[in-house]
Amino acid sequence: MTSTSSRSSAIAYVSLFAALVAVFGLIPKIDLPLGVPITLQTLGVMLAGCMLGPKRALQALLLFLAAVAVGLPLLSGGRGGLGVFVAPSSGYLIGFPIGAVATGLLMAYLPVNSPRRAAISAFVASAIGGVITIHVCGVMGLVALANLSWTQAFWGTLVFVPGDLIKCVLCAVVVHSVARGLPDWRFGGRAFQ
Amino acid sequence: MSRVLSPSDPTPILLDHVRLQRGTTIVFDDLTLRLNESRIGLIGDNGAGKSSLFRLICGLDKPQSGSVSVWGHDAQSKPTERVGLVGMMFQNPDDQIIFPTVEEELALSLSPNGLPRKVNCQQAREVLTARGLGHWAARAIGSLSQGQRQHVCWLALMIASPKSVLLDEPFSSLDLPGRAMLDMEISKASQQVIVSTHLLDHVRGFERVIWLDKGQVRADGPGVSVCAAYEADVAARCQSQHMSID
Amino acid sequence: MTEGLRLGSFYSDHRTWLHAVSAPLKLLLLAVFGSALYVFSNAVVLLACTTLCLLLFASLGRATQPARKLLVMVVAAGLLITAFHAYLQQPLLGVVSALRLLSASLLGIALMLTTRSNDLLDVLENLLSPLNRFGVKSSALALQVALMLRFTEHFFIQWKRLDDAHRVRTGKPGGFKLLAPLTIRMLTSAQRVADALELRLPP
Repeated sequence: MTSTSSRSSAIAYVSLFAALVAVFGLIPKIDLPLGVPITLQTLGVMLAGCMLGPKRALQALLLFLAAVAVGLPLLSGGRGGLGVFVAPSSGYLIGFPIGAVATGLLMAYLPVNSPRRAAISAFVASAIGGVITIHVCGVMGLVALANLSWTQAFWGTLVFVPGDLIKCVLCAVVVHSVARGLPDWRFGGRAFQ
Repeated sequence: MSRVLSPSDPTPILLDHVRLQRGTTIVFDDLTLRLNESRIGLIGDNGAGKSSLFRLICGLDKPQSGSVSVWGHDAQSKPTERVGLVGMMFQNPDDQIIFPTVEEELALSLSPNGLPRKVNCQQAREVLTARGLGHWAARAIGSLSQGQRQHVCWLALMIASPKSVLLDEPFSSLDLPGRAMLDMEISKASQQVIVSTHLLDHVRGFERVIWLDKGQVRADGPGVSVCAAYEADVAARCQSQHMSID
Repeated sequence: MTEGLRLGSFYSDHRTWLHAVSAPLKLLLLAVFGSALYVFSNAVVLLACTTLCLLLFASLGRATQPARKLLVMVVAAGLLITAFHAYLQQPLLGVVSALRLLSASLLGIALMLTTRSNDLLDVLENLLSPLNRFGVKSSALALQVALMLRFTEHFFIQWKRLDDAHRVRTGKPGGFKLLAPLTIRMLTSAQRVADALELRLPP
């Protein structure tokens, strides 16, 4: 890495990953084999955690949420404004920064010293930190705001888990490519120490 | 090195009464061009339509009316076949490099052959070794300099051995030695090469240079005379602008 | 030149009546209507809201062209939500959620298609300035939001370029294969931005 101060790097990279989360919500029409569309937005969350580590990933997601709160149409599908924070799905939204931190923490401690190891660590970090954490938050939100029972919410959220695991694979693939294409990049926030 | 066309060869590149509109701008209106020569230069101001012309030939853009064909094959149909006929190198290497290592990037160019990736990677390694660049095979693109990345793009282009090759402003990001090397590569290439550039010296010696101005062909002929005409026009415009300011 | 927000390559050449409405007003209306969607839970009221949003969107005519695919995805997501809630034996909640999703998206996309990003950033900077009193440097925050929007635009431009290059070389669109090179490209862009900031920001 260059000797650019961590403050300038932080501003640039935090903004970049906030942008990636936004971007993944705006890519239209992702098809699973059954023709079921899913959005990639949580992939942005996972990548932020893996690439930036817990502290910077949190900043990126908070920046993203602040932009959405102010009204920018960056939530998947082009939604924005304070309304999305009281919708039944807002549990998932609050889960974004938490999931990013969890993913980042795991990635900071898992081995990343070869592209293959980094990819496997990325998969594990995004599955546990990303998928599980976000779904737990989502379920809590559904119970609180949609008056679902815990059982109903649990089974409901399970439907989306296979799609999210595919995103974990995508995250691992991206991490693998970055590890090979930019050999100097250090994952899990090690780049900013 | 010229490739001699026999009468039975189809026209390498033919644009027939092409009309291209982008949004509300008309880029080309009733343009007809036959590009037979083995070395052709394309010059003109920015916004004249040079890149648009290349995009039409590659099939990236579809004309509103008229047709574009490469080696007898419609540019818009069967893209996987078109790949063996025409290839393009974009101005900025970073806009076109897809894979993180050199050998994978070259293997991508071979992928239309349907062979497994490992086989193509092996062939890519052989091509690199033949050029004395065997040590580049596993190197990360991110570790290469700008000029080296451009060279990777050139190799990726050549390894697919298309019959025609389009180069969009290939010299602008290269240093002097880089430009000299590219000149040499172009002169050695056996396929048809069409170069769009602002650095006129690289195409002055070509047998044909086309001057595009706002989507129209302003001049079309031997490199030396067309380049000179363009330079004179630019000088005259500068002069009149200078005088109108005073 | 009428330039939309360029998020998701929502570039719109065609000027509509909504282009002429000022950015702060549009953002305010979006915030008000967007929040109103969540105040009402009556399916009939929401259906009326959604119809209004559809009419608004349709009135933009040809300018909606770049966003059609995104809209299809939103409709599909809406149907998915309806099915999901039906599966959980709460069909009405599903319909309500789907209508809210559709309305909010239509409004948001309409904003994107008809607003210049510079105008939007001006509004944001003004909105964030009260935070100065609480010690939060609004200019740093505004800078990050501006950078975030620029990176978003840049991503789609870069994606199109890589997709073009892939199509020229293999005859097929790039799809997900481009995700990795795009990420690498964006990381190097961010490094350049960091270097530029280093030279231009006060310490």
